[in-house]
Amino acid sequence: MRQTIAALFLAGTLSAGAQTLTMAVGAPVTSLDAHFHQLSPNNAVASMLFDRLVNTDAQARNVPGLAESWTAIAPDIWEFRLRRGVRFHNGQEFTAEDVAFTIARVPNVPNSPSSFAGFVRPITRVEIVDPHTIRFSTNGPYPLLPQDLSNIYILDSTTHAQATTEQFNAGPMAVGTGPFRLIRHANGDRIELERNAEYWGTAPAFARVNYRMITNDSARAAALLAGDVDVIDQVPTADLARLRTDSRVALAETVGLRVIYLSFDHSRDDATPFVTDNDGRPIARNPLKDVRVRRALSMAIDRAAITSRVMEGSATPSGQFLPPGIFSHVPDIAAPAFDAEGARRLLAEAGFPQGFRITLHGPNDRYPNDGRIIQAIGQMWTRIGVRTAIDAQTWTTFVARAGRAEFSAFLIGWGSNPEGSHPLRNLIACQSRERGWGNSNRGRYCNEALDQGLVRALQTLDDADRERQLMALQRQAFEDVAIVPLHIQTNIWAARRGFEVTPRADELSLAQSVRPAAAR
Amino acid sequence: MSGVVLAPVETPLRRFVSEFFASSIAAIGLAVFVVIALAAIFAPWIAPQNPYDLAVLDIMDGRLEPGAVGGSGMTHWLGTDDQGRDMLSGIIYGLRISLLVGVGSAFIACMVGASLGMLAAYAGGRTDSVIMRVVDLQLSFPTILAALMILAFLGKGVMNVVIALVLVEWAYYARTVRGSALVERRREYIEAAICLALPTRRILFNHLLPNCLPPLIVVGTMQIARAIALEATLSFLGLGVPITEPSLGLLIANGYEYMLSGKYWISFYPGIALLITIVSINLVGDQLRDVLNPRLKK
Repeated sequence: MRQTIAALFLAGTLSAGAQTLTMAVGAPVTSLDAHFHQLSPNNAVASMLFDRLVNTDAQARNVPGLAESWTAIAPDIWEFRLRRGVRFHNGQEFTAEDVAFTIARVPNVPNSPSSFAGFVRPITRVEIVDPHTIRFSTNGPYPLLPQDLSNIYILDSTTHAQATTEQFNAGPMAVGTGPFRLIRHANGDRIELERNAEYWGTAPAFARVNYRMITNDSARAAALLAGDVDVIDQVPTADLARLRTDSRVALAETVGLRVIYLSFDHSRDDATPFVTDNDGRPIARNPLKDVRVRRALSMAIDRAAITSRVMEGSATPSGQFLPPGIFSHVPDIAAPAFDAEGARRLLAEAGFPQGFRITLHGPNDRYPNDGRIIQAIGQMWTRIGVRTAIDAQTWTTFVARAGRAEFSAFLIGWGSNPEGSHPLRNLIACQSRERGWGNSNRGRYCNEALDQGLVRALQTLDDADRERQLMALQRQAFEDVAIVPLHIQTNIWAARRGFEVTPRADELSLAQSVRPAAAR
Repeated sequence: MSGVVLAPVETPLRRFVSEFFASSIAAIGLAVFVVIALAAIFAPWIAPQNPYDLAVLDIMDGRLEPGAVGGSGMTHWLGTDDQGRDMLSGIIYGLRISLLVGVGSAFIACMVGASLGMLAAYAGGRTDSVIMRVVDLQLSFPTILAALMILAFLGKGVMNVVIALVLVEWAYYARTVRGSALVERRREYIEAAICLALPTRRILFNHLLPNCLPPLIVVGTMQIARAIALEATLSFLGLGVPITEPSLGLLIANGYEYMLSGKYWISFYPGIALLITIVSINLVGDQLRDVLNPRLKK
């Protein structure tokens, strides 16, 4: 009898221990308002508190969220059938009214540093058919609407009618339909969550979650090894080799959707600011406008050396935006092969047999090993005669200057939605306020023919046909070396023994992705 | 008479030298510093590799252990850093930047600070108040914070680091010089010089300054060590020199992330080099203070 009680007591404490999950993430969350700032860390927290009409699974595929199904009932009208019996954390019922309210709120969040408005701009009219059916009219056929709506978190029309971003951050308005409810938010330090017992989907494994932000890489890895936290994201590459052999820790990895690439100055035909001849005099024409020079600079890069030596295997060399297995990945574009001899020949053909001097810019605190990667590229370019100076800056300074097209060549990254038109529209298309394209086209590449093709592709409802068109457009862009892709990052989480993480392609660190590991 | 051996003439310099070398620790410190300085000056001839030439670095040689042989057949006695840079060469070249920045900024700061300090002491009144309140303001700021703000404004680069260090350090010299100049200017020889109607500039630099030198030399040596440490800190924080031309502080910063994974040498050896440099300068400075301070004499 006494033994049974002791056993019960022990079981009780053990399961109580297993009921709390402490995880540490590397990037700070800037707001709990799900429509305030398009940023992966914010989206991760929003995905725990809120739901979308269309959710995405670990492979970034669309799966039913608050909408059970969706169909295009006419070329320019989408109908979404909503889930019944779903309640917000405060007991309010979820209906089509809430969807209409959310669509209306998204473009009207004051002071948003990076708005979600682009995702709802195609919607010209919202029609509520009944409390659980809603229709969206678009300006012409728009096959990507479900994809776009997978970025929009649904709020409650009564609770959030007057809600401000500050009220979300303070806590009282952070009320959604998601798998967790908010207990406490200490800005930039931690977020405490509790399981939503009435959640409509798969119940989360842990009753309480302590979601901490530890931005220093070494400190985060040390916290995991010390047992202060159970799971960390953004495992520092310097620690990978050691963690792989540590039996107390298990790694979960998947190829991500973020491509790291070089961008060149396409905006100037005459001298570009950071290219000079070997004596330091400006060159009258911009050599980077010559496709042979761009191709030579791409061929001179030993991508395999960067992924193995600098990234320690946590990246895959790439010659395009998307990894294999994702809609509109182009199987016949391989990562450009390393060929220093060929690069020298191409440079000579382009009229630069002695090379030139260039400064390669990049951030030093944004992507894993960003400063190291540009130094390595500096070595490789210098070896083909393009004497390279390296200038690594903090992200905020760097990105502002890159946005003003102040650089000649620079390294930057892009996290894609899982289909080719997203990077094409943002990175390759000509800058156009009217179309909302080229927002992140910092090299100012512009090819009208390609843009026309992109307009056509985006109006093609048939998936297979659209994929063919998008693949052709990507071939065209990379044939012309519009940008120079380097590699696609691998997303890596590390968990202590007893915890298991489902790795996500979209980088989001979610508490619902963590489960107690099966006994080993 | 012819059998009497005359003692060497006791000049002040000889006395100073013999007193300085009375402490063997200070002598060792000076010797180490001379070796370091020579290594820094002749770096291009003694370093096995030019660590600032990207063309000779190979990423495939990255993070080799001390004693390992790289792809080009070169033995890396202290290992390599993450870019495949030979650590021994990196340290020798790094010392060069550290000493250049340390000595250069201390020298310029000394000139600026000493001039302003003497002016304050000699002119007195309003000039004194204005200069010394600026010094107070400067000294009330944490040095590293002030340097960070100046560099954030000026941008990276060796020259900018020197400017930043001069701007944060001149105040120490000004205060020191003013203190001793205040005492000296009441002395009879200054009054005599004034009575002779010598030009102010001549009184300041030919009469007053030489008599304020001993404390200035002591502060100067200490400030060189401080400037080197400060430059290392700034580079460690990513605000100092460019990443392709690392100083000791930047070499330490590069290796810091690898400490946990057992690749100690990237941070460790530059750290030791920095430590030895600063300690040797401080030993020399300590002894100078003892020798040059008449109040510490038995």
